[in-house]
Amino acid sequence: MSAPTGWKQFQNKKETYLPYARTWEKRIGSFLTFRPETSAPADPGTGPLAGLPFGVKDNIAVEGFPLTCGSKMLAEVVSPYDATVVARIKAAGAFVVGKTNLDEFGMGSSTDNSALGKTHNPWDVTRVAGGSSGGSAASVAAGLVPFALGTDTGGSVRQPASFCGVYGFKPTYGVMSRYGLTAYASSLETPGILALDLGLVQSVFQVAQGRDIHDQTSLDPVALDAKPVKKIAVLADLADLDPGVKAVYEQTLEHLKALGYQIVPVTLPTLEYAVPAYYTIATAEASANLARFNGIRYGHRPVYAENHEHLVRQARTAGFGDEVKTRIMVGTYVLRSGFQDQFYTKAQKVRTLIRHDLQKVFDQADLLLSPTFPVPAFVHGDKTMNDFQQKLADKFTVTANLAGVPALSFPAGLVGGLPVGMQFTAPAFGEARLFEAAAAFATRVPVVACPGSSLEWSK
Amino acid sequence: MDSRELEITAALAQIDLGEGDLARLGDAVSQMLAYFEKMNALDTEGLEPTTHALVKDNRVRPDTVVPSQLADAMVDQAPEREDRFFVIPNVL
Repeated sequence: MSAPTGWKQFQNKKETYLPYARTWEKRIGSFLTFRPETSAPADPGTGPLAGLPFGVKDNIAVEGFPLTCGSKMLAEVVSPYDATVVARIKAAGAFVVGKTNLDEFGMGSSTDNSALGKTHNPWDVTRVAGGSSGGSAASVAAGLVPFALGTDTGGSVRQPASFCGVYGFKPTYGVMSRYGLTAYASSLETPGILALDLGLVQSVFQVAQGRDIHDQTSLDPVALDAKPVKKIAVLADLADLDPGVKAVYEQTLEHLKALGYQIVPVTLPTLEYAVPAYYTIATAEASANLARFNGIRYGHRPVYAENHEHLVRQARTAGFGDEVKTRIMVGTYVLRSGFQDQFYTKAQKVRTLIRHDLQKVFDQADLLLSPTFPVPAFVHGDKTMNDFQQKLADKFTVTANLAGVPALSFPAGLVGGLPVGMQFTAPAFGEARLFEAAAAFATRVPVVACPGSSLEWSK
Repeated sequence: MDSRELEITAALAQIDLGEGDLARLGDAVSQMLAYFEKMNALDTEGLEPTTHALVKDNRVRPDTVVPSQLADAMVDQAPEREDRFFVIPNVL
């Protein structure tokens, strides 16, 4: 559980770091704000993360840094405070070098929905880094930071981690405080951690976790029984996978069998309803959460408005991008009087069924294995992966958010020079199981760093 | 969704839709709502809706005064203000 050596004492590494980071950053555009020169503390202290630089998705508050959410609406906003998870990680000795790009308000799977910057995949810059925490994943994969924070509402940490060949960890809902996250879908989302080193994911999780007086839904972790992982459930009826992802999935199964795990085929009859239920709930909560952005107290304001209502409508119309408007309208509609039972209440009941389904899986097995996403990183503007297709492809990741359980995307192999991630899902508070099995897997399939990335600057 | 419904929804969401937006966003909204209908195939009779992931009970903390230094920094973010007031167009 130690941090990788060589990352420490950033102060002495600036001369090698800055040219390295700038060269990469020009190619991939992972940060919206990047301040490596000025942000390192003079004395990193002796905490478990002492001297480590990290990136923070730009929908998580960091004192003195912008908090744009990738939106024109908040392009000028600077946060006066730290999110609880950021404050805890800083207290352990790490420091923020910048704010990473994202799909506007976390809505998307490519980071192409950012209104403020374009992010490319470090493995192939014609391709997306995934999303919505695409900047965080790209910056970690390129070796610009040893770890980064993201947020995961329906897979937004795990999917870009899979696309960029890094670990992407979503904890049990509540175990990492949401105070300081810009709310999108409050009952589903959580901060998450991306890193190339599994031990570092655990070290960061260790210091960031636990109940927070500022978040009423936050929880202390609960220790599950310490029995080793033996049984891993797999979906008996996997369909619609890219051939490359399917190949990596099958190799992963062979490796897990060779490691001595017992593979248990299961079915999740409600899986095909997870995506519609997820988007019903997520858009409904988004329409309520994003109602606060009205150009009055902060954020984008039109030059002229006739009256108060006109000001609000103009601010929102000019401030939000298409995907955000679409989701706000869908969410407004499903909450409208007369439609609530048909959509929102129905989705919440489907959510109950999905939780029951998953519980049955965990009655038979310690973990559930699935691909993280059905395809590897796609090219920018790929017509077969339009906004709607991207939503359908969230089916493996949204289940963990609907059930509030932890999940980890781990690098499992390469296809045509692109990384592919697989995902372990555990019962609530089963984080240790995720780390245990992923560490075992890495003894057979070591993580491959992105070509051209190097930790030389930190040596 | 017909354009009348879309306009009502956009008005409730406080978003103005131009002609081009109506067609483009209207299609995207309709596509998602049509997809949501898929849930009707599932029998959910008698099930409790899940409203929260894990915590169900309301939690309270002691009602004590704690200092907060954030107010001025928050007010400083205002696009337009006079002293500690937010300026908006006339409401009358």
